[in-house]
Amino acid sequence: MAVVRKNILQNADVRDQYIQGVQLLKNEASGRKTNEFGIPGAVRSVSTYDLFVIWHVTAMMLETPPGNPAGRNSAHRGPVFAPWHRVMLMLFEQNLQRVLNDANFGLPYWDWAEDGDLPPQQQGDAAIWGDDCMGGQGNPVTTGPFAFSQSDPSAFRVRISTNISGELRSVNRGLRRAFGVSADALPRTAHVANALALSSYDSPDWDADANSFRNRIEGWMNDDGVSATWLHNLVHVWVGGEMLLGSSPNDPVFFLNHCNIDRLWESWMSRNGRVYVPDMEAGADLKGHRIDDPISSPLGRGATPRETLDVSEIYEYDALL
Amino acid sequence: METKKLATGAAPRKLSDYLTRARDKAPAHDGHGAGGAQSVREDNYRGHAIEIVTTYKILVDGRKIRAPLGVDDSGQVHCHSLPNYQTASAVDMVRALIDGFPEEFERKPVRAQSRPAASHKHRPAPVRKSRPAAKKGSKHEH
Repeated sequence: MAVVRKNILQNADVRDQYIQGVQLLKNEASGRKTNEFGIPGAVRSVSTYDLFVIWHVTAMMLETPPGNPAGRNSAHRGPVFAPWHRVMLMLFEQNLQRVLNDANFGLPYWDWAEDGDLPPQQQGDAAIWGDDCMGGQGNPVTTGPFAFSQSDPSAFRVRISTNISGELRSVNRGLRRAFGVSADALPRTAHVANALALSSYDSPDWDADANSFRNRIEGWMNDDGVSATWLHNLVHVWVGGEMLLGSSPNDPVFFLNHCNIDRLWESWMSRNGRVYVPDMEAGADLKGHRIDDPISSPLGRGATPRETLDVSEIYEYDALL
Repeated sequence: METKKLATGAAPRKLSDYLTRARDKAPAHDGHGAGGAQSVREDNYRGHAIEIVTTYKILVDGRKIRAPLGVDDSGQVHCHSLPNYQTASAVDMVRALIDGFPEEFERKPVRAQSRPAASHKHRPAPVRKSRPAAKKGSKHEH
């Protein structure tokens, strides 16, 4: 039976379970060590949670195809953006269900556009950043369930990050956030509505300049068709700190943001049908983004964009737009 | 998608195995680490083949920065290290890198005997908000 994904701010039980699940995965040893992933420095154990950090960085570094000027990679800046993240969220959700011992747990989402409708100076004080939810900002974050404490070995720590070259590295520090420093305000509900009104999922040249739903929600173009930091990207940049980097899954807010993006994709499909482009007639320069190409994931050929279009047997949302 | 396959693929061991293989295959951005990332833009215009090869050499406080900047066909600058950014100017991207990786730009104490660098290199970078990038076809600086 499909689980139901709910708004984290309207379901305290789901919120508390999510926090508990993240902490359990963060403290669960995956059985692998940093050197097995080519991460330089002292050899350390890698948690199950941090496998998702490594996965995101690795997918980002796999250019599709190598050297393409559009900067398309196996998870971003192209059509596969929505399917790749859908697979990532489903595997993360499976792990949360396992450690919580609750097969009915659904990953919650953060409807950030509701906060984006607040005056910019109030957005950093929204309920999502409360002590009982994701905690606040800082370097390190010192409030909420993911607050850093140097003397507490069980406190939430960032253990794997990226350097300026985008390569993985070992670190041992607290979570970082800096609200509104690199962007003034979160996206608004009107921006979401305008994205949902776009009729094509994606379009040539299948890049950051395409005037399509995928490109708009990924956040490379604004409502005026001008290159800008928008929707998904804007949330990353507004939260700042960890969320700016390729290792952004270090911040548990990453999954709440992407769950909302996935909800928007599901909302778009409820209006436009379960359609995806490009098909397999597209050239090899789009390999990795075509409808039957394998998604870069542990599911191998079992996960393609086509396979992600209908997940109604796995999960559904409490509310679509 | 089959639920059973999903549950199997989600096992930490399965994910670890996949990541080990994927990282072995990943090209690790040859050349990017040395700051030598190249963007090649190609076009045809009135029967002429255009090829523009762009390589960024970036110095901050006189030190070479190993950031993999690229530029797309419309002139927008991107960087794998900051995957959610795209700027109309490479200068804006470097400013974002300074914000995103503060520890990589920490100033070391200056020794008394050392020769002072040019004054403009000591000017702190202004705090900048992200701004809408230029419209397609407008002038870009790189």
